[in-house]
Amino acid sequence: MKTSNETKVKKINILYLLGYIFVPIIVCAICFFLSYKFFPKGTMAVILLMGPSLLSFIWWVFAGKFIFKKKQKEFESLLDENNFKREHTFYAEGCTTIIDKTNGELALIFFWNPFETYRVSLKRVERAWVDDGKSGAGIFAGSGRVSFLFTVDGIKVRVNTFTSNQRWRMDSEYILTGISKADMMVKIIEEAKTKAK
Amino acid sequence: MNLFQKIKSKFKDDVCEGCGGKCTETFKQLYMLDQTVGHYARYENPSYYKKNLYKVEKKTDIPSGVYACGITEYTCQECHKKLVKLSIFLPVRDQEMHETPVYYRNGEMDDFIR
Repeated sequence: MKTSNETKVKKINILYLLGYIFVPIIVCAICFFLSYKFFPKGTMAVILLMGPSLLSFIWWVFAGKFIFKKKQKEFESLLDENNFKREHTFYAEGCTTIIDKTNGELALIFFWNPFETYRVSLKRVERAWVDDGKSGAGIFAGSGRVSFLFTVDGIKVRVNTFTSNQRWRMDSEYILTGISKADMMVKIIEEAKTKAK
Repeated sequence: MNLFQKIKSKFKDDVCEGCGGKCTETFKQLYMLDQTVGHYARYENPSYYKKNLYKVEKKTDIPSGVYACGITEYTCQECHKKLVKLSIFLPVRDQEMHETPVYYRNGEMDDFIR
């Protein structure tokens, strides 16, 4: 867990991201090559062609979520051990935000950087705001994403409270719930910021 | 009560379900419900609301992401039957996201609103 005031928040670990995407591709390519060169037929060929492909698919679909959830649980217990009061936790797909309102602290863990966790004073948060994703005018106004954002040492962190591949009216239940969650989180950040040391 | 009044009473709170007579609002108050956005659960038990409702003067007194509950009591001018409606909603900026209302017809909330 990184707590130092100089530590910059890193949302994406490039090595992890590239490894996550390309390692299964490389493994598949090696297996295909071995199959082509040494086992053109038979059971071994089937294993070398099907096995890595299937495992890669499983890896891409489930591994990210599994690693993130596991690391998130570890992080939460670590925070508890280190006297961090987990008063407000917001679980989003790309980032989990935990706020200690009493001591004005913020804890962060990112989906694409699950091995580095951050515990920072809310003094380092310059501003927090809501983005309702509204586009269009009049009856055509709608959104497909609602989020709350904040900047830590100038680095913008976006936490989605609602995402959809469709566009919803601004008065739809989904959008209103998303806005309400985002408004609530921004208010909590602002309140906690006043108590930051 | 004719069929038309019976149908009307199903859709309008100010029409008595018993006699079809006109009902008047005899009590109206806004409360804050101790539930937050994303964690709403509907309860039928009146004791839950008695424990978890807090009187507020206006909607802006309710913090963001917290549910509101408007209690309205209707009294029939003819048969004096009472109906208490709990309109539960989430205030979001200038809009409201309403949940299915809860009705009490047998005076379950009388000790709370009086």
